[in-house]
Amino acid sequence: METRDPLRHQLIESLMARHPEKGADAAIDLWVLMATQIISIVGEEGFNSLYARSVFLAQPTFPWLAASSLSPQADQRFANLKKCLEGQPPSHARDANSLLLLTFTGILAALIGEPLTTRILSSAWGDDASTSTSKEFKHE
Amino acid sequence: MDDEVAAHGREKRAAARENAVDLRERVVVVRERSIDKRERDIRAAETTQGTRDDQIGMLQQANAQLVIATIDAHKLAEQVQTAHADQDHLAHHDVLTDLPNRILLNDRLAHAIALAHRQGKRLAVMFLDLDRFKHINDSLGHAVGDKLLQSVAQRLVGGVRHSDTVSRQGGDEFVLLLPDIGHAEDVALSAQKMLIALAPSHLIDQHDLHIGVSIGISIYPDDGRDAETLIKHADIAMYQAKESGRNNYKFFEQEMNARAVQRQSIEAGLRLALERREFVLHYQPKINLLSGTIVSVEALIRWQHPQRGLLEPAQFVPIAEDSGLILPIGRWVLREACVQARAWQDAGLPPITVAVNTSALEFRAGDFLQCLRATLEESRLEPGYLELELTESVLMRDAASADSVLHALAALGIKLAIDDFGTGYSSLSYLRQFPINTLKIDQSFVNQITSNPDDATIVSAVISMAKALRLCVIAEGVETAEQVAFLMAQHCDEGQGYFFGRPVGAEVLAILLQTGVPPAFPH
Repeated sequence: METRDPLRHQLIESLMARHPEKGADAAIDLWVLMATQIISIVGEEGFNSLYARSVFLAQPTFPWLAASSLSPQADQRFANLKKCLEGQPPSHARDANSLLLLTFTGILAALIGEPLTTRILSSAWGDDASTSTSKEFKHE
Repeated sequence: MDDEVAAHGREKRAAARENAVDLRERVVVVRERSIDKRERDIRAAETTQGTRDDQIGMLQQANAQLVIATIDAHKLAEQVQTAHADQDHLAHHDVLTDLPNRILLNDRLAHAIALAHRQGKRLAVMFLDLDRFKHINDSLGHAVGDKLLQSVAQRLVGGVRHSDTVSRQGGDEFVLLLPDIGHAEDVALSAQKMLIALAPSHLIDQHDLHIGVSIGISIYPDDGRDAETLIKHADIAMYQAKESGRNNYKFFEQEMNARAVQRQSIEAGLRLALERREFVLHYQPKINLLSGTIVSVEALIRWQHPQRGLLEPAQFVPIAEDSGLILPIGRWVLREACVQARAWQDAGLPPITVAVNTSALEFRAGDFLQCLRATLEESRLEPGYLELELTESVLMRDAASADSVLHALAALGIKLAIDDFGTGYSSLSYLRQFPINTLKIDQSFVNQITSNPDDATIVSAVISMAKALRLCVIAEGVETAEQVAFLMAQHCDEGQGYFFGRPVGAEVLAILLQTGVPPAFPH
């Protein structure tokens, strides 16, 4: 049983707390970076499947996420999610995106383990992630 | 010599040139080979890279399939889990109201009893039965009845503590479990809250429906130590609540048990009474106050009980109404009365109208008119000699549907009387709207007309109103000559009551008709 939030949670929460002024753009940047990494490992279909499941699980809390399905065009992949987030008050959008990211990475962690997931996320989110979590890493 | 040397030199130079050419050719070959090798190396490297890319691609594909398969497996497991939960919910809840059902209530009650036993506490079981719900179901249909039950369920749930259980037993019966009660007064307060919660009307499909509820209460451990006994005793107390006027509550008392047993025995006996021909009709004369002659009779049912003797309607009709047996019994009364009226006519007696009480259940039955026509045809009684007595509540429950049935009855030539007038809605609009022939003033007013000025005023007013509307008016429960005198002074048309004669058997009534003399009349 977990006694505290996994590093992944702290990572996501800390990244979400940054650049609040960028709103939906910052949220989508995180998704794009993460998608690049994960698609390189599980392919486009694998990513889509993980994302669809995450939306399904987050939907009871934020029903408006139902409209955030992925676009078939790779360069517009998160256009619907962006539209959804932009349509909500900033705090609401931030909470929803946090939940969606946590759900997505939670499923991934359940499949490949927490350490590997955290490594993938760190490599996806690069310096931002390592700076945010450096303190925590030191305590690991 | 010089020539030889020169020739030799030329040969040498030629050979050297050939060697140089040969060397150049070799260099070219070596260079070409080197180029070939480089090209081969590049091609080989390219092939290796391609193979690696293919492998990565395949790995990605395999990963994707693994992810998709795992997520599908999760979904499936979740669906199975949801299906199990749904199945479990369905097995323990009522489909219509989503309240806990009998099984879940019994389970919770058993747990609550065990806990109360350990902690030395008390709990209450409330048995609720909606008053006259069957009439709503019969007259407005099951869809409306179902919505009404849902509305009632919501109000009940809204009126209890979170720890209480509201369950539906089936039909219009609900059982509430109130664990950990302090005093009986608290339970009485809860029952009172239920009555208040259900008092406002329910708006269902444009129908403004009023429904009361009768509540029986049993307390653990005083009234029972197991679930079955507590529910049974709450049910018995509920019947007592119904019998004492409905829309109230009663706590279980041990002596109720005996009455419940008797009630059950009556219900069981009623089911057999028709087959065993244990019902008989008595006829009470209705007298024209001016002429003093019998103008009609009211057919009144009696039950010749094999053990308990002749039973009055009050002793079994409410039970017949609750159990639905009133429908076959009512039809038997109708047929028997029509056959008898025709038999008197065939015997050469003066033709009189026979009045039959019609219950709400009969009146709302889909084949009511068809059954009436068939009975009249079979008995060969002219419709003009049949009068149906209906209470105000029967007519007012669904005035629109009552209107069409009443007009169909009037078109057949059947007479219509409003029974117990003044005790129900006493709506003046329906007197104008419905094709009614007669108003019967309830005996509760007639009883006091010579002693209570208010009752005298009411009776006078009803008679005047009936006259103005050209309705025949008859006073029920006439017992004294003073009452007759008052009624005659007010120009009341007819009277009925012990003063003129008690209900009698068909043979006795035939004699009265033959002699033309009512049993008592102030000539």
